[in-house]
Amino acid sequence: MALVAAPEILSPYYRSLALAILADVALAVSWAFFSGPSRYLSLATGAFFGAGAYLTAIVEARVPWPLPVLGGALMGGAMALLVGALALRLRGPYFAVFTFGLAELAKHSLIWYETGVTGTVGRLILAPPEPWTLYYTILCLAGLAVLTALALRRSRWGYALAGIGSDEERAETLGIDTTRVKIGTFALSAAFMGAVGAAMAPRWTYLDPQVFNPFVSFQTVIMALLGGATTVAGPIVGAVFLGLASEILLLKFRYLYLLGLGLTLIVVVLALPSGLAGLLRRSSPSPLSSPPAGERAG
Amino acid sequence: MSPTLVVDIVVGGLITGGIYALVALGLNLQYGLMRVLNVAHGEFLMMGAYLTYSLHTAWGVNPLLTLLITGPASFGAGLVLHRLLYARVLAGEAAEALESRSLLLSFGLLFVLQNAALLLWSADLKGYSYLAVPLHFLGSVFPANRLVAAAVALAVSLAFYVFLQQSFLGKAIRALMQDPEGAQLAGINLSRVHGLCFGIGIAMSAVTGSLISMLFELTPFIGLPYTVTALVVVILGGLGNVAGSLLGGLILGLVETASVYLAASDIRLIASYAVLSLILILKPSGLFGR
Repeated sequence: MALVAAPEILSPYYRSLALAILADVALAVSWAFFSGPSRYLSLATGAFFGAGAYLTAIVEARVPWPLPVLGGALMGGAMALLVGALALRLRGPYFAVFTFGLAELAKHSLIWYETGVTGTVGRLILAPPEPWTLYYTILCLAGLAVLTALALRRSRWGYALAGIGSDEERAETLGIDTTRVKIGTFALSAAFMGAVGAAMAPRWTYLDPQVFNPFVSFQTVIMALLGGATTVAGPIVGAVFLGLASEILLLKFRYLYLLGLGLTLIVVVLALPSGLAGLLRRSSPSPLSSPPAGERAG
Repeated sequence: MSPTLVVDIVVGGLITGGIYALVALGLNLQYGLMRVLNVAHGEFLMMGAYLTYSLHTAWGVNPLLTLLITGPASFGAGLVLHRLLYARVLAGEAAEALESRSLLLSFGLLFVLQNAALLLWSADLKGYSYLAVPLHFLGSVFPANRLVAAAVALAVSLAFYVFLQQSFLGKAIRALMQDPEGAQLAGINLSRVHGLCFGIGIAMSAVTGSLISMLFELTPFIGLPYTVTALVVVILGGLGNVAGSLLGGLILGLVETASVYLAASDIRLIASYAVLSLILILKPSGLFGR
């Protein structure tokens, strides 16, 4: 409720901070509902986010507001269907490398296209929507992502995904259509990423192909892993924590902050394989706290 | 196509390819043996380049002599990193979880090294001029420093290949690549050889960096493109296939140089990614894969 009333109470600075953190929550949660249980480490977040953002920059002046966000979702989903059909046959680090290359490939192809064909690198956003419109759009997306993650966990589809994560061949033998489950969930998560990109684009008045930023991919992974990728609360905690940290530290101590982010990732991988959420769970003396399948994702 | 252009492409391609081969060899050693996909590989190249730059500009050390410093120093750093980070992940884990976790570790390392370099040397372009004299060769002109860099890179690569074929340690490494369990039964200490190979791999990357600092201007961001190139070469030549990496490096150097001469230079990176994606999808075992 506080989040819904927020734009009325908060000053513009805090509203934009809340907006950034909610966008991170949406990205981290939608990354985790695919990569957490399935253990396919996707580094394509930056590519889907960038595609959505660039789409907004192209169509923004011509269509009314929520349409670019829907377009971004469709765009992200369609990209993921295509990429997933090719890449989800790859396991382990190959998939990660392939998806990482995707953002770079998209960026350089776009630069090449824009300089060669349209002759303009970069676009201005001339008529951005009201700040509160953006805020509610992102709030809706974050809420939808959390609801999707919750629904997915309790569905047959979610169990199938966890089954793929613990042993893909066995899952297939048990009659799960692994390809459909993988590609479907990957596309759903990419749709959210594309929509978030599209909704965040008006915050910048000028966009160029650099919006395909691999840093977005990494930050999302670190947020989700820091919080714990196999829970729903984990990525939220991670996104809020790192969102605040980056807000405070990124402008003043840019390189030091990013260096610390790298160290955080190393420490999380070595010492906290199930994230902060796992730490909390381990300390509570519940006999039912044995980790579910796919717990040690990432 | 004029004969001069052919010489330009072939010699230019072999120069670039020799450098690629050395970076790729280091990466392949780490992946082929340990299943550690070290995406921070190029960052060690960047660190080696900056170390040479600093030694040369601050104390006037001959860039080629700095190889004797960057090589051992990075080898030591590799041993320490293996002990501190990778050995702990490599101990007793299922293969797939291990690969993902070690990949994340290297991504963390990438962030740390790149931003440490930004703090130490700033984001400004840094460079110096060494042996930038033209050499005439079959009617074409090449800067002497490129020929020297490529010659050193190829010499180090070949020396390593011979070491792997002939020496006792080299045979132990090959045995571990082929059959980890059998090799351990024959009394080879897995963890020690892993550490040594991680160190050697990183030293190769840093030495390449020292050579590159003679040719191009440096920023803290030069590492990642070389990592990608090395990945393409390793996948082209086959994981764990040392001779494949050497050949793959030379082939990629030739293809890239040809595409720059015949098409446009901004297509280079797109071509690399496209080649990488195609091979990953069509033939994940590499062109020379078994």
